[in-house]
Amino acid sequence: MCNMKQCIMSKRNFLLFTLLLLFLPASFAEAQQEKELPFPITQYKLKNGLQIIISEDYSLPIVSVVVAYNVGSINEQPGKTGLAYLLRNLMFQGSENIGRMQHISFIHRTGGELNAATTQDKTIFSQTVPSNQLALVLWLESDRMRSLDIDDNNVIRAKDDLIEEIHQRKATDPYLESYLYFDQLLFPDFAYSHPVIGTEADVRDITVEDVKSFYSSYYIPNNAVLCITGNINKRKTKSLIQKYFETIPEGKKPPPPDLAKSSERTAKVETFRDSLASAPGFYLGYRIAPPYTVDFYPLAIIEYILLRGESSRLYKRLVKKERIAFQMSGEIEKKEDLAALKIFVINNNEVMMERSQKAIFSEINKLKSSFISEEELIRSKNMFKMDYIKQYATTVDKAIFLVETHLAKNSLDFLGDEINKYLAVTPSDIIGIANRYFTQERILLNIRIK
Amino acid sequence: MKTNSNSQNNSKVFLFFLLSILLIWRNPLSSQERFRKSPPYPEPLPELELPNIESGFLSNGLGISVIHKDNLPVISLRLVILSGESSSPEKLPGMATFVANMLSRGALNLSSSEIEEMIEFIGGNFSSAVFPDYSLFTFTFLEEYLDEALEILGKMILQPSFNRREIENVQRSMFYDLVRKNTDSEFIAKRVLFKLLFKGHSYRKSIYSEDIIKNFNQKSLFAFFDNYYRPNNARIILTGNLNLSTASRKVSRYLNTWKRKNLEVSLPSLPEPNQRLKICFVNLPKTEDTTIYMGNIVPPLTNPDFFPFVVLNQVLGGTPTSHLFMNLRESKGYAYYAFSEVEFFRICGVFYIKAKVRPEVTYASIKESLAEVEKITKEEIPSFEIEQAKSYLIGNFPLRIETFENISLKVSEIKAFNLGEEHWSKYYENIMLISPKKVFEIAQKYPLLTPVVVIVGDQNIIIDHLRDFKEVEVYNKKGILLYYIKRGEE
Repeated sequence: MCNMKQCIMSKRNFLLFTLLLLFLPASFAEAQQEKELPFPITQYKLKNGLQIIISEDYSLPIVSVVVAYNVGSINEQPGKTGLAYLLRNLMFQGSENIGRMQHISFIHRTGGELNAATTQDKTIFSQTVPSNQLALVLWLESDRMRSLDIDDNNVIRAKDDLIEEIHQRKATDPYLESYLYFDQLLFPDFAYSHPVIGTEADVRDITVEDVKSFYSSYYIPNNAVLCITGNINKRKTKSLIQKYFETIPEGKKPPPPDLAKSSERTAKVETFRDSLASAPGFYLGYRIAPPYTVDFYPLAIIEYILLRGESSRLYKRLVKKERIAFQMSGEIEKKEDLAALKIFVINNNEVMMERSQKAIFSEINKLKSSFISEEELIRSKNMFKMDYIKQYATTVDKAIFLVETHLAKNSLDFLGDEINKYLAVTPSDIIGIANRYFTQERILLNIRIK
Repeated sequence: MKTNSNSQNNSKVFLFFLLSILLIWRNPLSSQERFRKSPPYPEPLPELELPNIESGFLSNGLGISVIHKDNLPVISLRLVILSGESSSPEKLPGMATFVANMLSRGALNLSSSEIEEMIEFIGGNFSSAVFPDYSLFTFTFLEEYLDEALEILGKMILQPSFNRREIENVQRSMFYDLVRKNTDSEFIAKRVLFKLLFKGHSYRKSIYSEDIIKNFNQKSLFAFFDNYYRPNNARIILTGNLNLSTASRKVSRYLNTWKRKNLEVSLPSLPEPNQRLKICFVNLPKTEDTTIYMGNIVPPLTNPDFFPFVVLNQVLGGTPTSHLFMNLRESKGYAYYAFSEVEFFRICGVFYIKAKVRPEVTYASIKESLAEVEKITKEEIPSFEIEQAKSYLIGNFPLRIETFENISLKVSEIKAFNLGEEHWSKYYENIMLISPKKVFEIAQKYPLLTPVVVIVGDQNIIIDHLRDFKEVEVYNKKGILLYYIKRGEE
């Protein structure tokens, strides 16, 4: 058995290994890389434009059905925020053949589980049931895709619930106010800067007609992806999909959201007094290359080097070693065609806050000027690999992973080789990319107690 | 005329025919409306093939179980120490949790940070959870690093350092964790409920406050560790693409020097169920809603009543379509949520109802919850409801063992409670056998109508509503009785 430190190649062995690779036939070197996903995928499109993804998995007698619509808060107009979120909730209030809340009770009666999520750029409905209940879920999903029940009563009830949720979040979520303001600085255009849940004033003004119009514009088969993963018979599944979805009429192609200013990178330092904050802190953000671009792969590994795990550079220095931060977290936030690396720190006082900022900038400078050790790079990549694998750990995780990828790239053909692009990142890539993206063009929002 | 009439009739038939064709052509859905109007019939219930569990023992008494799963390149390792909080010293409740938290905080020649780096190097994650009967460690890592993972585990188990600096770190983090939870109304309600139900019982040691944290020291930690962290008091469960023979060989390589010790293990006594309805209140200022937890002692997992009890719980409060949710939220509009749960221990279970309600309907919510319980003790639940509950439980079972972590958790529970593999291999059969009559018998057999009721809310908002009860015992957040409120008295 090799000791962990022995496992990491010495420089001499590394050279030998590289030389060996040069003399090996190309096919052998390529064989070291996985080119296919570890599960099967079938993709096709119905006549009405609905994109279908099927993936069989026979380990348990369950099936997951995910329907994702390419719509989120970026599709809302000024004065109509919260519409995408409201419509997601209305999707459980009944359709032509299904009564209010019946969707939930049908799924629960089978022992199944369901969920729904709206983000800035997508809305996803998911359910996992025993595999003999696949037709039931397709019946439910197709009915609300073709004939959602939108009337005064439903809309008023959904608006009341949403306003209550806005109140609850405002009252209980510390640092939410400052977070929303930070997002406005980082993504200055309207599409990305308003809260997904909407504002109370806008939600009050939403009319039944607004909801109907939003539904008919975006909840159409040619703006959606249906993914089925689990213990299924492919032939029967295709036939069920055809039965329930093919006759739903295609809609008019939805207009693209207005993202005019979102590609801009600027430098800003501001201060915000947060009414619920119990301690000072700050948000730091860098706009970076979007997912699936060449630059994104090293950036994703940098996220792990700096921020992921207790042995990441920033956590180790700020929280464990120097103890200047009370709490620290961060991640890359991916949007449709944008991304940002965000860091959030809470300090005991403002002196610690300044010291934390200096420490972060000094760690970023180190990243830009010195090669990362082989050991640290393997650690970061292994942690990344584990998180990547967990994206398809269950049938529903897998279905969500597939629809999200499809919505972002409009294809899954590249996916088999995707993980290797992250694992191939070199120390030189890290230095180059860190210098390109971690510049003075950053947003720093200092949070003070009100 | 006749000809004319015939011709008119023919024209009408033709027009009707044409109109029908046009309607069908204009609206392609109309031909399919029939199947859309009602839910499709399900196909036959698919068979569940549970993965095989291979089990064995090393020569030092360490139990090893392997669950073969090969759909992810990951291994999930669970270490079960068959002693939990009920084994903590009388004056040091929380000791079992403290020792578990210390395990990854350093070993001989290895600091806490070095262990953390070694774990993360293999894409791993290590965590612990302590229950009244056992302590559970979860270690998930990339499958190519099984040797490295066992080496790390071996160092933690065979050479713990419990160094003073790390003891202070754990004291600090446990202290702030408990202080933070003191603002969580659900945490407080459950803590006070369990404290009252386990009064005078060894399970009460799993309910402790932040004041006790400072009392742990290196000597007491080593004493607890030396007593209970023994191979003959431990089980390792591995889930991944491996078999028992490989697993045993590898585990043995790193843990064969772990020395066994004869343990004096005695089962805790059976706690007495609460015999009369008791209403308790805890003041938590600035909370807008009221949180209610009400419960009592019920049979353990090993009791044959377990399966009917699970069905009873499902009908009453298992999901948003169960009686409590439908009544308190959907029908009356009192609650944000209302559910029931059963938590199982080695010698008993605790059945409880939990709800978050508007303060002004606190009394009405408790009354309605008790009425729902009373209903199932007075008359049989209709068989279609029992069948629905069974269908949920059977359908939901495979979802609960889908991940590596969940399946190994299930097997850990089987090993910790010594349940025997039939407990899960015959789960479907046992649930299928439950009848309305059996559930009715169980509902009458256990003291469900005399629970301890714990209400947590803001005294300034709720005080007038508390006077609806005949007598209320007022406790602080740690579960210490302060005074009584009696109806008609100031």
